[in-house]
Amino acid sequence: MKPIRTFAIALAALLVLTALSYGVSLLALGPLGTPIALSVAGVKVLVVALVFMELRHAGPINWIIASITILFVTILCLGLISDVLYR
Amino acid sequence: MNEESDKRLWEHFGDLTVQKRALRMGMWLFIASEVLLFTGLFALYTGYRAEYGQQFAEAIGHNNALLGTINTAVLLVSSFTMAAAIALLAAGRRTLSLAALGATWTLGLAFLVIKGFEYSHHFEQGIYPGAHYRFAELPGEGAQVTFTLYFLMTGLHAFHMIIGLGVVAWMALRVWRRRTTAEYHVDLEMSGLYWHLVDSIWIFLWPLFYLLQ
Repeated sequence: MKPIRTFAIALAALLVLTALSYGVSLLALGPLGTPIALSVAGVKVLVVALVFMELRHAGPINWIIASITILFVTILCLGLISDVLYR
Repeated sequence: MNEESDKRLWEHFGDLTVQKRALRMGMWLFIASEVLLFTGLFALYTGYRAEYGQQFAEAIGHNNALLGTINTAVLLVSSFTMAAAIALLAAGRRTLSLAALGATWTLGLAFLVIKGFEYSHHFEQGIYPGAHYRFAELPGEGAQVTFTLYFLMTGLHAFHMIIGLGVVAWMALRVWRRRTTAEYHVDLEMSGLYWHLVDSIWIFLWPLFYLLQ
């Protein structure tokens, strides 16, 4: 079945990314570790949303809801990062 | 329109297609509100981490990264079985769909068992949230704050998992009784969205509380 195959490929990718993230954490890269770990997590959530949650086929209204959510989260994160870096 | 579809259709919707779309959109709005709730807690994490630096990292270094990673894999596989359960039901493979729901439920329970094992290990060492914290190895205020936040965020996530187990069991019962069918299973789709949301939150909790030491 085609959808199941797509889900299986997504799962394989997610598990590889998890192993990658764990491996990178063992290297103890210091300040680089945080952006790498969070970027990998972001990619994983994108895979979950697009494939498992079928956001690909969810239609324009749900895309708008998802985009606005990401926008709000980004605004908060930018504020936080600028506070932490330039206090 | 036959009698069966009349029963499924709520009176304020024109037809089942409109009802399905409205329910899916409502679910995405709910997911948006959940994301913003957890974003607030992630903001708290960032603030405390900036404030306590070394103490915060040492407290996280005390968590068992291997158990956390196993739990991440368990949840990812459970998301796969959940997505598969919906696709299988839609394709008319009802028995296989039920099996996939059973697998999802079992994996969800496995996650909670592992988490409970971790919590009980923390409690043995005197790692409790808030004022009850008395872990001799890391006595600092920063470690206390870190573990309190850890209990709050993973606890709220575990609470979502418990709700998820109830929802998955309920959906399995509905599929079993043929209330949720290949033709109309928007309730199972919404449950799937919820399950994947809870998985997505853990995808961020895992590096923050296990990897970034």
